[in-house]
Amino acid sequence: MRYVHLYFTCIRRSMISRLEYKKDTIIALFSFFFSNLCSLAALYFILQSIPALSGYTLPEVGFFYGFSMLPIALDHLFSDEFWLVAYFRVKDGDMDMHFLRPVPVIFQMFAETFQPEGFGELILGVALISVCAANLTVSVTFGAVAVLCVGAVFGAVIITSLKVAMAALAFIFKRSGPLLQIIYNFSNYAKYPLAIYPAFIRLLLIFVLPFGLFISLPVDTLLYGTHDPWLLCLAIILCAAVFFALAVWVWILCERRYESTGS
Amino acid sequence: MLKKYRPFLRAGAIDTMAYRFNILVWAVITVCQVACLVFLWLAVYRSSAGGMDAEIHGFTYREMIAYVVLTTIFNFVTFNNDTLWNINTDIKKGTVGNYLIKPISYRGKFAATSLGSLLTMTLMFGLPLYTAALVTLGSLGFLPDLSFPAFFAHLGLFLLAGLCASLLNDVIAYIFGVLCFYTSSGWGLNSLKETLVAFLSGTLLPLAFFPAGLREVVRWMPFAGMSQNPVLILMMKYDLAESLRCLAVSAAWIVLLELFAKFLFSRAVRKVTVQGG
Repeated sequence: MRYVHLYFTCIRRSMISRLEYKKDTIIALFSFFFSNLCSLAALYFILQSIPALSGYTLPEVGFFYGFSMLPIALDHLFSDEFWLVAYFRVKDGDMDMHFLRPVPVIFQMFAETFQPEGFGELILGVALISVCAANLTVSVTFGAVAVLCVGAVFGAVIITSLKVAMAALAFIFKRSGPLLQIIYNFSNYAKYPLAIYPAFIRLLLIFVLPFGLFISLPVDTLLYGTHDPWLLCLAIILCAAVFFALAVWVWILCERRYESTGS
Repeated sequence: MLKKYRPFLRAGAIDTMAYRFNILVWAVITVCQVACLVFLWLAVYRSSAGGMDAEIHGFTYREMIAYVVLTTIFNFVTFNNDTLWNINTDIKKGTVGNYLIKPISYRGKFAATSLGSLLTMTLMFGLPLYTAALVTLGSLGFLPDLSFPAFFAHLGLFLLAGLCASLLNDVIAYIFGVLCFYTSSGWGLNSLKETLVAFLSGTLLPLAFFPAGLREVVRWMPFAGMSQNPVLILMMKYDLAESLRCLAVSAAWIVLLELFAKFLFSRAVRKVTVQGG
């Protein structure tokens, strides 16, 4: 209970500091929509010139793209501070204050920023899914909807866990941002159906960096019923639990190595 | 007269060399991205009505892969200035004031720095990367026939086009940087600029895929000269006449945009609020 209260207090403070540059925030939001619009337009222009992409029609590919935005958006809302940890905060030694407070540092990092930009992604993703779904003829089962929800929510947990673990490495290497960037960029692969990739990339995206597990497989399950939805739900939740536990463990192990810059 | 800009030219060159580690990371990220695009294009051609041997909007799948690889190298070598960020920092820290009282032009300083950076990048990375890419792609048959004396003419035009692209990129970054005078922060403006350039320059996909009307408009805009046109000149997809047209359009835009930047700066500078200095 104390932590819930603490979280909201911290978030309120972060929002106030965000409002310092209002014009820039509005431009950032606009350019975010614009950038997604461009990517979608590019995808649309490409698909205009072929009948279907590896058997997936335009609305199906759009659905993939839209759904891939949901877990990414949810992660974006809550864990943006870890980018700063990975790139700057450990290197600059400005984590000292967090180690002096009687609350776990990892919790403070979550409470440090709340990114309202994530809502933009969430809205766009849901809008895209709705538009594409209206143009699809699939029999929607309860199981398929459940697996999509599980994929979005627990997928976000998996992304956040990867982020926490990579950011934690900064305590050892001083700067782990680039590494985090490399791992995170693999989420781009999950914007398209797994069918377009060769087998080893598919395996990589399911078993190693499981973006495919919580994005592509749930969508395939909805569109074609390729997998048993409940089994898939279980797999995603288990995977999320393992990743999260590992991430917290890595963080706790690494944070002991923090060195202040002494300033 | 140009002598006073030489230290900035040098600084740009040295700066770029100091960040070798970043460049390594960039390489890993880029290889992953290029691979993703290659898989996407292969799937597109495999799914096309004509099958693998189809030509879509004038590109075979081989040429498309060559295009993806070459634009990636081109963007890496050509677009490496931090003009927008440096202006943003100057505004935030108030150091912009220091430049206003020095006998050099603020714009000239950035142009020189980014040319210095272009020089280092071209010699250090451009030369080996282009050579490796052209030899590999060429021997795999991924490039249209490079007939030899003509290729050197295209190579020369390509280098000129690269110079134009770098200048265009710098002046556009400068314009967006000057707009930071009004917003006091650069994040939003930077991502807006990056998106605009990536989409309209043909980096996301060749402009030939755009619908006819949009394509015609974009053909005369400055962006196509920043990525697609230089690469297509190098790949010899454009004949000499078309190559020269592209260069002329780019050159005209550089002049226009520089004039606009000058006008904008003279207005924006009145808005300067030095925060503490």
